[in-house]
Amino acid sequence: MVTIACDAKGSAAVEPFITAAGQQHPSLLDEKLRVAELYDVRNVPSIFWIDESGRMVRANDPVYALRRNRETGESTINEEYLNAVRDWVANGAQSAFLMDEGRLGSRLPDLEFDDVAAAASFQLGTYLALHDHAADALVHFKRAQALRPENWTYKRQSWNLGDIERDYGTTFQEALKDPASGPFYPPLDLVENSAG
Amino acid sequence: MTTTTVLYQDQESRSEAARSSDDGLWVPLSELKAVSGWELKPEGVCKDEVCVPVPDTRRRALIRDEEFSLTEFAGLIEQPVAHDENTKVWYFGPPAWAWKSRLASRVAPDFVLPDLSGQVHALSELKDKKVFLLFWASW
Repeated sequence: MVTIACDAKGSAAVEPFITAAGQQHPSLLDEKLRVAELYDVRNVPSIFWIDESGRMVRANDPVYALRRNRETGESTINEEYLNAVRDWVANGAQSAFLMDEGRLGSRLPDLEFDDVAAAASFQLGTYLALHDHAADALVHFKRAQALRPENWTYKRQSWNLGDIERDYGTTFQEALKDPASGPFYPPLDLVENSAG
Repeated sequence: MTTTTVLYQDQESRSEAARSSDDGLWVPLSELKAVSGWELKPEGVCKDEVCVPVPDTRRRALIRDEEFSLTEFAGLIEQPVAHDENTKVWYFGPPAWAWKSRLASRVAPDFVLPDLSGQVHALSELKDKKVFLLFWASW
């Protein structure tokens, strides 16, 4: 198990979480979100299963370890997903929970030029924001968001480096309703044709 | 004299001699390698084992008076560019061959990242094991 924190604010922002979790696995830091870009991570959390040969067998799964019951407010371990992980560990390539090519393709669509153009604007915005040019950064963050409105990583990281209401004239709840953004998370679809 | 900052993916450099405008970015040929890693050779514009041939029709748009247009070259190799003229900062993303079909093979791209103690870890160190890779953020 490897975790990657995508956080432009660096270790100061993520250390309390890592310390509190007392993790034993490598807990890595991707301050420039370059590895997130490499894996086309459009929101967090996002989980990949990589087999012994280095191939991705599940990609960009939006899963939390705990599930919260909306009515009671109670949080319980996400057993359904945990069982899928156990199944993969035990059965490897025979696991029923691996994605076929079509589903991998829907999670990892071929990139278009606008995808990398949005990434470039986001990278420039992040650099400016972290070098005392917050006002100049906004233009580039907004360009990244406009080019790829469905990428919540760009939105959430740039809001975090500024102020969503003052700088972007919206709120998180409003942004969720924006039809251009599409869903906050893709459906999990643990097995084919499952509602997840 | 104004300073131009060039972020060539992970390589950051500053130049006093670069000419930055909304029309593009020109760097002296003498600084090309330091800024971008690329070098002008008889066979084209080269870095490591890659050489990009320069078509005669584009040569003049690319190289002029001992200067090289990084933006024109970016167009040639389908490299995304972002530019802030106010602060004179340029960012150049990956060329076409690095981003087109990047994940089509379904092979997980290798990466090297530090943990909080600064120790670096590579995905390739975990070859022959199953890897459960989780991206998260504090935001």
